[in-house]
Amino acid sequence: MTRPARDPLRASPQFRLQVGFILIAMVLSVFAARLVQLQGVDPDEYAAMAAAEGSVDVILPATRGEILDRNGKALAKSIDGRMIVADPTLTADDAPELASFLSQRLDIDYFEVLERLRVEGSRFQYVARQVPARLATQVVADAEAEGFVGLFMQRDPVRVYPFNDVAANLVGFLGTPKRNGSARALAGLEDSFNDYLSGIDGEARYEVGAGAQIPLGDSAITPAVDGSDLALTLDADLQFYTQRVLQQTVEGSRAESGIAVIMDSRTGEILALADYPSYDASTPQDWPKSRYKSSALTDVYEPGSTEKVLTLSAVIDAGLGKPRQQYVVPGVLNRQDRPIHDHWAHGIEHLTLAGILAKSSNIGTVLAADEFEPGQLRSYLTAFGLGRQTHVGLNGETKGLLPKGEAWTDQVDDRIAFGQSLSVNAVQMIAAVNAIANDGVRIDPSLVKGRATLDDGTEVGTDEAGTRRVISTEAARQTALMMERVLDPVDGVAPLASVPGYRIAGKTGTAQRVVESCACYDGSHTASFVGFGPTDDPRFTAYVVVHDSRTGGGGAVAGPAFAKLMSYALRRYGVAPTETRPSKLPVEW
Amino acid sequence: MSSTAPQLRSRLPRIAEAAVQRARLTVVPRPRTRPRAPRVPFVTLVSVILLGGVVGLLLFNTSMQQASFRAAALDQQLADLTAQEEALSTELQELSDPARVADRAQKAGMVIAGPPNVMNLGTGEVTGDAQAAPPAQPSNTLPVTVPGPTKPKVLDPDPVIVRDRGDDRSNDANGRQDGGSDRSRQR
Repeated sequence: MTRPARDPLRASPQFRLQVGFILIAMVLSVFAARLVQLQGVDPDEYAAMAAAEGSVDVILPATRGEILDRNGKALAKSIDGRMIVADPTLTADDAPELASFLSQRLDIDYFEVLERLRVEGSRFQYVARQVPARLATQVVADAEAEGFVGLFMQRDPVRVYPFNDVAANLVGFLGTPKRNGSARALAGLEDSFNDYLSGIDGEARYEVGAGAQIPLGDSAITPAVDGSDLALTLDADLQFYTQRVLQQTVEGSRAESGIAVIMDSRTGEILALADYPSYDASTPQDWPKSRYKSSALTDVYEPGSTEKVLTLSAVIDAGLGKPRQQYVVPGVLNRQDRPIHDHWAHGIEHLTLAGILAKSSNIGTVLAADEFEPGQLRSYLTAFGLGRQTHVGLNGETKGLLPKGEAWTDQVDDRIAFGQSLSVNAVQMIAAVNAIANDGVRIDPSLVKGRATLDDGTEVGTDEAGTRRVISTEAARQTALMMERVLDPVDGVAPLASVPGYRIAGKTGTAQRVVESCACYDGSHTASFVGFGPTDDPRFTAYVVVHDSRTGGGGAVAGPAFAKLMSYALRRYGVAPTETRPSKLPVEW
Repeated sequence: MSSTAPQLRSRLPRIAEAAVQRARLTVVPRPRTRPRAPRVPFVTLVSVILLGGVVGLLLFNTSMQQASFRAAALDQQLADLTAQEEALSTELQELSDPARVADRAQKAGMVIAGPPNVMNLGTGEVTGDAQAAPPAQPSNTLPVTVPGPTKPKVLDPDPVIVRDRGDDRSNDANGRQDGGSDRSRQR
């Protein structure tokens, strides 16, 4: 056998192998280069393109926390909602029929919807927003069943305020959600605790086929972190009652506005805080914007005679007077710049310290306060919490006005002793008087039960409430007994504030009112009443303020409202009468 | 391997002889083989395992898909039921609105209670100064509703009152109602 002669055209096997390997190497190099391009140069773009193929991204919405009253009733809650959106390129043809269908089912305006269903050159028109999910789903499903096309839904959470105007002044409200579904907080606690309530939206990405998730397919889930519930110290029923009693009082005395606050004497928890006039949180757009606030915190006024309680308790605490101490009170007290009068004309009166409070004598209070060393009254008032924000958790709180330094002249000192020339907000004032109810220890007032974080990072709530001794227990007790005389039918000025069956301590106030328009006293008055009960074991402190009342002062206008509120609160919380006899401190000598 | 090289060279002639010897071809005796195991069962077994695996995988995959559809359906049901629950609890809350309760109570003739008596269950002692609540009067009845917002005049115009024309009045005797409703329909 001879080997066939080598074909002269064919190269040697080695050569052919080399050529083959070079070709393979070239091809592999191209692959490698492509690999480097894909993985090294712009991997993200390709990864995204690959992921987008057949996969969906879903926002997992975080549920906004509820705002609850102290018994767990929701004052604000979120429910799942949808926006119904139309694609006019699909809906324009049978717009009239669809518009009439939608206007009937969703209670919206026919002509407006009709117009939107026919907008030219648009593929996205709102038909209805914030429709409860159940209703929206049903309506869209029914529309499809009737052969309408071009409607679709998107998430659009609904915030509901089931109790409408109850505590609206505090709770606030959310506006129409932003395009991405996040909340737009516009007022009240909704605004100041927005981050705390909001939570963080989660995200899910998974592959889908035929509308269902592909098992074993790629999926990545970042779970949503729901917002926290905000528990308040408010009692919704008591809040409702307080608001309506205040409404009745303000309307009844043809006054301009009013504030009423009820506080738990022992814990400083605010059980009710009413402002009138206020608004309805479920229809905020119908009401003037100026009402989207709680004037109990944002507005200042001169407290008037209710402040005498603080001055005289400081007098007793400083050892400068006793309830039975005797004063000779002239009809007019001529001081540096102008004479001081009392609210009733009198000659020389012989009043005890208790009598000065019971009859609300400005002159007597100034005489008693004359014993203070310079700066002593101011440090007492500061300790009572005046001139400083209460930090209950609402934005825009005023800190009031307590003159200091050069501004605290002798004349100012005299006027401050009986409650003029200084300004407070209602919560500051009730917290100060509550210190007397709470054995001389001031507790920070709170609106939030437990603890919650404001948007600015500060934590507020009952867990954060501090206490501070302002006056001695004995001074507090004696002041309370003197305050009881204010409600005495014979010796006091506010018998109408008494609550049958209970011992109540209180103080009226009828202050000249500074109005914003002229920044001067315009002759109108602020009538107020602050008090607590039962005197010998206080459970509640209540404060009623009526601005520009036309039918009388603190005892006549605010007193009866105080009595209603106190009586209701004591009854509601099952407080038994203490069955001890009210104080009989002499008012005259 | 420097040490083995000289040995190889010295043995070479003998190896060559052996090679020549070997190069003579002889009939190789047929090797004795063991009786081979039948192949059919093995192949069948492998095929069955393979087929079983494939079918099992297919069934497993299908059932997973089924479960996925079911999960999607259940998700939808969950969403529906959640929405329903939300709607019902909202309704419940609207029913427990204090204003609504107060309104119903007032319509049922209830009034706000007077001071109560308190009984100490330990001692059986009754304290307090209970009084009957005064009958409902405007002065002690709570306003249930809030006065509505005052709208500017532009948004809250006076009603436009259109009086019937004189000749219509003559028709009054013979069926004013018909004429009136016709007109309102035209409007």
